[in-house]
Amino acid sequence: MNLLQEIWQSIVRRDSLSTDKGKSELVFLNVWLHIHPAKVKKENMKFRHSFYLGFITFFLFLILITTGIALMCYYRPYPPQAYQDMKDLQFVVFMGPFLRNMHRWAAHGMVVCVFLHMCRVFYTGSYKKPRQFNWVIGVFLLLLTLGLSFTGYLLPWDQLAYWAITVGTNIGSYAPLIGGQVRELLLGGHSVGEAALLRFYVLHVAVLPSLVILLTIVHFWRVRKDGGLSRPVWKLKPERETLVTIGAPAEAAPLTVKASTTKTYGLMEVVTGKPIFETVSAEEEEDTVFSFPYAFVREAVTLMATVTTIMVMSLFLNAPLEELANPAKTPNPAKAPWYFLGLQELVSHSALLGGVVAPALMVLALIAIPYIDRNPSRRPRDRKWVLWLFTIFVVANLVLIVIGTFFRGPGWALVPPWVHVVGGAE
Amino acid sequence: MERRLQQLFFALSILALVLIVAAAWQANTPSWKTYQHNFLQLEAQGEPNAVAKAAVLATPPEIHQVMLTGLQRVDRCTTCHLGVEDPTMKDAPEPFRYHANLGSHIPSKFGCTICHGGQGLATDKEAAHGKVAFWPNPLLSNDYIRASCGRCHKEGDVPGVPELTEGRRLFESQGCRGCHKLNGVGGSIGPDLTAEGANHRAPEWLEQHFLTPNAVSAGSAMPNFHFTREQARALTYYMLSLTSEEMGSYYSSVRVIPGPEYGRKLFEEKNCITCHNVGGVGAKTGPDLMGVTTRHSLEWLDEQLVNPELVYPGSSMPAYDLEPNARKALVAYLNSATPADIQLLLAHKNHPLTPEDVGIEAGKADFARFGCAGCHGTELQGGVPNPNAQGGEVPSLLHLSDDYTKDEVIAVIRNGRAPPLDNTAGPTPPLYMPSWKKVLSDEDINRLADFLWSKQEKKKESW
Repeated sequence: MNLLQEIWQSIVRRDSLSTDKGKSELVFLNVWLHIHPAKVKKENMKFRHSFYLGFITFFLFLILITTGIALMCYYRPYPPQAYQDMKDLQFVVFMGPFLRNMHRWAAHGMVVCVFLHMCRVFYTGSYKKPRQFNWVIGVFLLLLTLGLSFTGYLLPWDQLAYWAITVGTNIGSYAPLIGGQVRELLLGGHSVGEAALLRFYVLHVAVLPSLVILLTIVHFWRVRKDGGLSRPVWKLKPERETLVTIGAPAEAAPLTVKASTTKTYGLMEVVTGKPIFETVSAEEEEDTVFSFPYAFVREAVTLMATVTTIMVMSLFLNAPLEELANPAKTPNPAKAPWYFLGLQELVSHSALLGGVVAPALMVLALIAIPYIDRNPSRRPRDRKWVLWLFTIFVVANLVLIVIGTFFRGPGWALVPPWVHVVGGAE
Repeated sequence: MERRLQQLFFALSILALVLIVAAAWQANTPSWKTYQHNFLQLEAQGEPNAVAKAAVLATPPEIHQVMLTGLQRVDRCTTCHLGVEDPTMKDAPEPFRYHANLGSHIPSKFGCTICHGGQGLATDKEAAHGKVAFWPNPLLSNDYIRASCGRCHKEGDVPGVPELTEGRRLFESQGCRGCHKLNGVGGSIGPDLTAEGANHRAPEWLEQHFLTPNAVSAGSAMPNFHFTREQARALTYYMLSLTSEEMGSYYSSVRVIPGPEYGRKLFEEKNCITCHNVGGVGAKTGPDLMGVTTRHSLEWLDEQLVNPELVYPGSSMPAYDLEPNARKALVAYLNSATPADIQLLLAHKNHPLTPEDVGIEAGKADFARFGCAGCHGTELQGGVPNPNAQGGEVPSLLHLSDDYTKDEVIAVIRNGRAPPLDNTAGPTPPLYMPSWKKVLSDEDINRLADFLWSKQEKKKESW
């Protein structure tokens, strides 16, 4: 019995979780959990503040890595075999359809959630000082997510995949000077073929996931260093300067400094036993709880809710698989993946404006947001027109995607989804 | 709240477990396992004692598949159709019934889908029978299944499938190539038919299209050829057999089925009788072929057809470029050829051919082969409707010499021509004369003109 306890203690190396010291040590001494603060502010963890969209996105990414590695065991990135492997997954691999469905739905979910997460961060003004650069990293993570989804889209090698990538890469080639070369580099040729499939596979399973993991580490680290999740706008303190006294009690002259209004951690002293005195206001102290179990149980529920939602979808909805890719048979209309249909819609009006200028400006504007918006206030009433501007941007994107997805028929003609077009596939 | 969340976490964890179990259960109970179980019960009925019955029933379920690299497919049909090769199952209910009359087409060498269509990789009924979205090749109904013979047997007669031979004959004689490309040769007014059989068209659609083109494809430029039902069926068979699939060498070696009928056709086509005779009937330049198959071994005869010089140095017999099965067919015919039959063959060639006639004959062959007959008629009578062209139809070629010189006609064949309009404000007529200079050599075009001139009716006497 003693031995068992000793072994357990040698693994966890912390006090009992019934003590505050134990709760702090659980976070502080654990490599996987130490990205959390030992204590969190209750209000910051409110669901209605963040909707846990960042967590959900991360958990979807974990599902994608797990199912993706399993799928790699059944997949050969070579044209006719790739499609046959899809059929094998569908018909003979044990739980193959479930596996593929989970991967597909989690992928779409991740695109959606990463976008919603960005909207939440914008609306709560959480990209403001000192978090400006973390927003920029977030924009790159959004682009990488789209890249992952886009490269994965080709892998089944069916008509849907083939033509979506053909159309998608054509949009890219409208960029002046470099567009054609970039497309050729990406495809390993002038059209989507064997080389393109291999390159997309390498990007999809090695290059892009590594980049996402690297940037995610930086993204989380910075959130943590900037004091965890941002303060909900309804808890923002009025702008005032408070003076606090810091210093060890034994020392003669305690230091009086301006109180930090952003710092929401600082309880290392509990763990290290070496107090760095900072007087915490009574209100703040009341507002703070240990991450264990307060934050962890919320994250665990979010994880399980995400996993079960994807599982339920995968049980009842099958990922699409069309006919074997046929370069000689163009579907009409040939559509890019849904998240690029807004772009395709723009391209149908003007190749240069819609395919190059608009997306380039969009990405640049997103990156530049924290540096353009220099208004320090995060309160909605102080940033009305900025919120309106962003809302228009989001709605315009959604409307374009909806038009491209549901209202475009053969020849990219405007056809409402309830009208059935005869011979549309010819 | 905290307690609630913990409960929620456990509830969701249990739900996740249940969902995994549900997915595993779903994966573990495919319909093919039920079929295999039913089949085992059927088999067990025939066993004499309980031990043997139990042994049969204990067979573990497994997917059966035939890997057909030569046909570029994997067929899993026998996962459910378990009795295909078991003659005791000849009265069993489907899907277990024995497949009679397979002959040499054993499933382990041919699989099922090359003839039947459907989705060989699939293991549930709907998907395997191909009656699902995004599978271009559903099961062929029994009415049309024999069309699949033409996928491998691309030339000559296929025993039991006269429709294929007839379809091919109609295709080449009615001038279909005038508008349609097939394996790279033909016009471009209509769609390319090289892979028409892989085009997801229902056989019924094709058949109706041959009977009344406009009924199934509104505004089609294809003229109504007034085919009979049998002819439409024959053409449908031919279309279904055109899938442009690459077949492994084993399968393409049987393009031609060696048989005396095909041998007789070759004997006539290659004009063997201009040198040889059979029992004294025919020419005397070459040796009598009566009983030649008993005088020489099959190998000797085969070599003689491949390279006569090698067998008889200085032989004046030309080397014919015949594929192995065509040579076998010729030998098979020689084995049964009688002087009486040769007499019949000669009756067709009742006048000796002059060099001029040879040119005209070649022109006639080109006229059919390149599809001129499709619009201008097999008898040059014209008459195919062509709305808003002058006269409303494709012109007859029987009175060309009234209005044109031979050189003018050659120029029209070379360069093509849009028909003069009836009403200049009206729509463009669907049919036009294509330019042939890239398809036909000048020699071919001259021979065509020779053929046309040989058919000109005498100018009506004027007074």
